[in-house]
Amino acid sequence: MAENRCPMCSTMNQETAEVCSNCGARLKPLVFETPPSDQQEPAAEGISPPATEASGDGDDWLANIRSDAIMGSGVDDHAAETDAADDAAPDWLGRLREADSSLEEGPPSEEIPDWMDDFLAAGEEVTDEEVPEWLSRVRERREAQTEGQPESDEGEDWITRLRDDTPDERRAGVEGLKPSADEDESIEQPAPRALDPSPPPDVPDPVPQDEILPEEATPSHEVGASAPALDRLDEDPQPAVGEPMPPEGEMEWFPVPDESELLDAKGLPHVPALLDEETGEKPLSDISDLNMDSIELPDWLGESKSETPSVAGEEDEKPDLAPATLPSWLEAMRPVDTFRSEIAIESDEVQPVESAGPLTGLRGVLMAEPVVAMPRTASTAAARLEVTERQYAQAELLQRLVEEEEREIPPVRAEKRRLPLMRWAIALILLLAVILPFGFKQLGVEGYALPSVVSRDLAPLIDLIGNIPTDRPALVVFDYTPGYSGELDTVAGALLEHAVMRSLPIVTVSTRPTGPPLAEGLLNKIGASYGAVNGENYLHLGYLSGGPTAVQLFAIAPRSVVLSGYHLPESLSEGSVWESPLLQGVHRLSDFNLVIVITAGTDTARTWVEQTQSWIGDTPLVMVLSAGAEPLVRPYFEASEPQVDGILTGLPAAVSYRQYSGLPLDTGAQWDAFGIGMLAIELILIAGGAYGIGLWLIRLRER
Amino acid sequence: MKIGTYLLWAAMAVGTGIIVLLGYFVQIDQIPADSLIGNIFELRLLIMGWAVLLAAVALGIGLFNLFLVHWMKVSAQRPGWKYSAVLIVAFVLTLLLGLIIGPDSRVVLFLFNSIQLPVEASLMALLAITLSLAGFRLVAQRRDLISLVFVGTALLVLIGSGPGILSAEGLFFSFFAGLRNWLVQVAAAGGARGILLGVALGSIVTGLRVLLAVDRPYGE
Amino acid sequence: MSGVDLTGLSILLLFVGLLIIFMAVDSRRPATFRPIRGYEALKGAIERAVEAGERVHLSLGTGSVIGTDCAPALAGLAILTSIAESTTMSDKPVVATTGDGAMAILAQDTLRRVYSEARALPRYSPTSGRMLGPTPFSYVANIPILLASEDISVHVLAGSFGAEGALAADFGERQGAFVLAGTDDAQSQALLYATAEHPLIGEEIFAGGAYLNVGRVHRASLRVQDAVRMLIIAGIIIGTVLSLLGVIR
Repeated sequence: MAENRCPMCSTMNQETAEVCSNCGARLKPLVFETPPSDQQEPAAEGISPPATEASGDGDDWLANIRSDAIMGSGVDDHAAETDAADDAAPDWLGRLREADSSLEEGPPSEEIPDWMDDFLAAGEEVTDEEVPEWLSRVRERREAQTEGQPESDEGEDWITRLRDDTPDERRAGVEGLKPSADEDESIEQPAPRALDPSPPPDVPDPVPQDEILPEEATPSHEVGASAPALDRLDEDPQPAVGEPMPPEGEMEWFPVPDESELLDAKGLPHVPALLDEETGEKPLSDISDLNMDSIELPDWLGESKSETPSVAGEEDEKPDLAPATLPSWLEAMRPVDTFRSEIAIESDEVQPVESAGPLTGLRGVLMAEPVVAMPRTASTAAARLEVTERQYAQAELLQRLVEEEEREIPPVRAEKRRLPLMRWAIALILLLAVILPFGFKQLGVEGYALPSVVSRDLAPLIDLIGNIPTDRPALVVFDYTPGYSGELDTVAGALLEHAVMRSLPIVTVSTRPTGPPLAEGLLNKIGASYGAVNGENYLHLGYLSGGPTAVQLFAIAPRSVVLSGYHLPESLSEGSVWESPLLQGVHRLSDFNLVIVITAGTDTARTWVEQTQSWIGDTPLVMVLSAGAEPLVRPYFEASEPQVDGILTGLPAAVSYRQYSGLPLDTGAQWDAFGIGMLAIELILIAGGAYGIGLWLIRLRER
Repeated sequence: MKIGTYLLWAAMAVGTGIIVLLGYFVQIDQIPADSLIGNIFELRLLIMGWAVLLAAVALGIGLFNLFLVHWMKVSAQRPGWKYSAVLIVAFVLTLLLGLIIGPDSRVVLFLFNSIQLPVEASLMALLAITLSLAGFRLVAQRRDLISLVFVGTALLVLIGSGPGILSAEGLFFSFFAGLRNWLVQVAAAGGARGILLGVALGSIVTGLRVLLAVDRPYGE
Repeated sequence: MSGVDLTGLSILLLFVGLLIIFMAVDSRRPATFRPIRGYEALKGAIERAVEAGERVHLSLGTGSVIGTDCAPALAGLAILTSIAESTTMSDKPVVATTGDGAMAILAQDTLRRVYSEARALPRYSPTSGRMLGPTPFSYVANIPILLASEDISVHVLAGSFGAEGALAADFGERQGAFVLAGTDDAQSQALLYATAEHPLIGEEIFAGGAYLNVGRVHRASLRVQDAVRMLIIAGIIIGTVLSLLGVIR
């Protein structure tokens, strides 16, 4: 069974199916149901809608057209079909083209129409040299025509001549005028398909001429006898199509004009109007009553009357115009097997009336129902594309990219951390270097000797502490963190022990929250050896909040900044720390006997130096520093006008201080551990340097 | 209203900064106390007192912020929340002890001497190990002349500061001791002074930016 | 007026004048600074951290707001502004830590302002600026926990540090993070040179605002520093020569 392709989704359906099984579109357009005969418009006699092959399937011929258009493949098949069509339909366009090539041919051999008389008459006055050649030929023929034709007052009536024409000639004329199926193809088919002048196969012939031009439609009288001349169209319009022709005697609407009327006042040929001047009606527009072959067309239109009836018998001549050659890329874009509607455009009268949508009642419109009204599913794959290999590759690449995005990437396993073996090794070395010296005595190993090189800064400091009056307290600032207590407790301990040994009253303060506990711990430890008691020999002012600002304020007015002390004895627990006998007479910084700043940071040291400069007066300022802070504080000590009166930095200086101040030397183990540890670090640095230089040299050699 | 508030804060910052700054260029002792300038400098002292108080209050706010961070960590049970819980317990316990029995009580001092002091001393010891390792790797990682000079200088200072040199006698050992003193007191001190000058310039300009209200670290 | 340090006031006015002048000519005569490898590498490291969904940590040091150690912390706030602008919309925005309560409040204000300007105030969290510990070593002791728990890949130290700064830098190196460290203390700078991947020597920490394009005032500040430095150098040379010649003592 033949299949029917859906115009919407190109799905193949059964031939008898009315709607598409895929998308639901109508396969057979709705046919306008003709109203009853009393409501039907008077149709032209002999003209009826195209006959259908089967009842109820009014558009099978349309379906056949579509299916044939789709099923047909190959130019050869199509060409064969077009050849067959050419045999059926005249190629008036082709004849036109042929005629174009014969532009220089003489005038046609047919009779010259009467309306050309005026032109000829006007041209006679023109010299032969000015007259165009084609006009001269027309005149000659005209003359020959008039000689051969009998003259009659009633004149030769062009309608009469029409009636004289044979029915075949009429049919040929009508066919020549009526747009044929192949013409529709050439006009309606869009690029890029090459224009195929021949109609597709199985295209039914247009309405047979017999039906269009029934015998009844022809005038009752002979055309050639009483038909009005062609040049007298304006006088009596012919009846409309469909209307019965009036009898001959009643054709007063088309009287034969006089020749004199054909020329106007200037003597130029008068072309009668196509509209009736009285009624304004259009003359007979039924082409079927006209013998177009009798109309003399100029050479450039070129129509050969003799060729008209024999067109069907001739083979297609090669058209003048070469078929369009499409570039390859354009040819590649042309969709293959795309459905193309190859419906012959019919006249409005035969087209169905729209029965749905906003264009209800109109003819010649696209049917709404199959497109709009009928619900359908979205068409997919409406066209098969030609995909090249490169496009396939790109599509695959795109698909791969999309899939990669969706793919879950497994988590990257964290790199297994290597054991810090080098760090452990160095830690072990340093640990052993520091711990082992504590067993030297038990092991009978003699450690490092005491330093023999004494810094030139030490003696003045020892003298300063040794000679300071003890009537006023010394202010000791504990501005270091517990982390530095290991070094600074040892360094400051030597100086503080010297001060405690001399019974110098000590007052402590700190700008760090952890300072007071450190001060209490150190002085408690030192005082235990010398019987110094908190509240009698030393006192803690506590934490001084505010940084450098607080230092300056303390220097200006310490009593207003420090309101309560730290770890005060019970005798002072309910009073102010300033009530202590140790602080009697102390109202500003300069009232202290000595200011000792113990710190590990250069900033703190500089702060105390700079902020107290204006208010310290003659009170000596001594710095007890970590070894790292010495470079930045020493300039204050070595300046021409020193702001620091004494400096003690590092364990070697503290050991030397003990050594030369008469203090007990209980830093032996510490001194040995310090020395061994330093040696270990030196060896580590030497090894690291050698390793780095060796690696450097090896890589240089590799380059 | 937001613009007005911003201008108010900027005006306060600039005003107080100028008042305090000018006090460093004027000898207060020579200003009559009853004069307008004297009153201005009294205001300066008042402002500085307020700064001291605000610093202490800011410390308290910082501690509250610290507590809040660890509290949120425990609440959300983020990784390591158990350590945060221990911190919160210790925080609250120490705070209560300090408030109830005083920060200079035996118990608090015991906690300080038993926990905080050893922990921070241990971190300092860890620093020594870290610096030793860093010195060992420095030449191998950087492989440039400056790193070599750095390590060499450190080595010379260590040698000159160690008991091995200081306790020994002789020209060789005294040479290293003298070299160490020269490196520390001349070369390092000179370089450190240059750095200090640059840092001082940067500090001045940074402070001026705040005083001129072109840099507003206090927000809007 | 007696007792006025005119020299000091003159120097102060010189700084102010130069700052204003350089701010005015910044657009017409843009400054050209020498490349500092640390800051250049910092930009790329921040971008990588944002791309990888990792966090940036900025340490403002253990210095307090009142005092000389406030200046490097303020310079660190300028760097914080630049970093926060880059990480505002990141999955893990920057976190700033400090060892001082007042500095923590300043860090929070800076972050809030940046978030507000980026119209992302709901994303701001007050705990993004926090105090880790009141003392330097207690502050540093919390850094390994922070580095591990917050998934930090960029570790910037820009503030006032003591010797504990070397520990903080070393913790970052052991974490495999990008470490940029700078401080104002010369002693600490020596330690950071050995332990940090990208140390900032001298006053390079004060150049952070200019190199990270925080604002033209920072570029002008750097030019003022350079200009006054040249004057100081000239004064030192001239004074040395004159003292050698015996003109001045």
